[in-house]
Amino acid sequence: MPMKLLISDKPICMPEGLAALTVIDLSALTIAPCMGCFRCWIQTPGKCVIRDDAVQVYPLFAQCDSLVLISRICYGGYDTPMKTLLERTLPIQQAFLRVVDGETHHIQRNVAPKDVLIIGYGCITESEKNVFRRLAERNAKNLNFLRHRLIFTSEENLMQVMKNEVCL
Amino acid sequence: MKVKKQILLINGSPRAPHSHSKQFASLFRKFCRVPSDYACITSTNHAALCQRMENYSDVVLVFPLYVDSLPVRLLEFLKSVEAYRLSHRPVVSVVINCGFFEPKQNDVAVDMIRLFCAQNGFSFGSALKIGSGEAVLATPFRFLLALQIYRLVSGICRNHYATLSFTMPIPLATFIKASFGYWELLGKRNGISREQMETMKIEDDTPVNPRT
Repeated sequence: MPMKLLISDKPICMPEGLAALTVIDLSALTIAPCMGCFRCWIQTPGKCVIRDDAVQVYPLFAQCDSLVLISRICYGGYDTPMKTLLERTLPIQQAFLRVVDGETHHIQRNVAPKDVLIIGYGCITESEKNVFRRLAERNAKNLNFLRHRLIFTSEENLMQVMKNEVCL
Repeated sequence: MKVKKQILLINGSPRAPHSHSKQFASLFRKFCRVPSDYACITSTNHAALCQRMENYSDVVLVFPLYVDSLPVRLLEFLKSVEAYRLSHRPVVSVVINCGFFEPKQNDVAVDMIRLFCAQNGFSFGSALKIGSGEAVLATPFRFLLALQIYRLVSGICRNHYATLSFTMPIPLATFIKASFGYWELLGKRNGISREQMETMKIEDDTPVNPRT
């Protein structure tokens, strides 16, 4: 069943009529950083041993076939809340490697290929945008993005961008 | 403020005491001909580390690649450095390792550090990008990596900064086969078979979307 997921690092007001969209506000969740223990690969495959709110989120991250990520940009990457979540998606991959486009990448578990829109906000320089574009390309290969699109905006314009891009 | 040539290695791995980054830092210090010190980032020592950084001509950040970029632990520390007003800014170099075969998969993370430096008045120094970093220390190719680390150290000590790369000199197919064996062994030590490690299930859910 198709599933549309939106993950934001700040609270957002969604208009009515978007019942098909699952919204996750990371600022309302408790998610600890990944410890790098690899136990989700070698001890409890597919499950993280840190039993906090992330265990509710990464199965949805895997299942969705349409994903919107809203994150502040920091040094050309995701700021801490979104990056913390992305690190905790490690259980959706296997330890084992495969070749994708001539490069090694982890084999995915039951991860749906997805269309992804990333909305990066904040005071973002051109250099940061360029680095983030390359980061998104790498994420696409490692996180099973079928297609991805980026939008950069200021924090003030974020809600307007949301209206235009997500609520249509 | 002028400081004499000395190097502080900062381990940004979340599993610092048991990390490969620690071993890379150890190799670095073994070859280093100027005074060097080593520290790990914890959630509570950011201010103390920032203060220490002022006493060094060079800082080398040693860390693993996490989801194509910097580990959160390091990201948080960099934000603390940005907020701290250092009276002296050391040259920042990087030793980054990933478990993938290709060192170039580290490029974005290195450029994030370059951005951090540019935005905060630091000079960027050298970078060593390590591919196959998960397993290389347990292979006969360890000495080749040590050679690259030696080149990195020599350059930093002489202010001849450079970008270096390393991966194991074996065919890609051989690397993938060996990596299966490496992870399978780690699973076996935990009583987990390869079949169990290959489960497609995430948490206990029955797969909702069968398209993979």
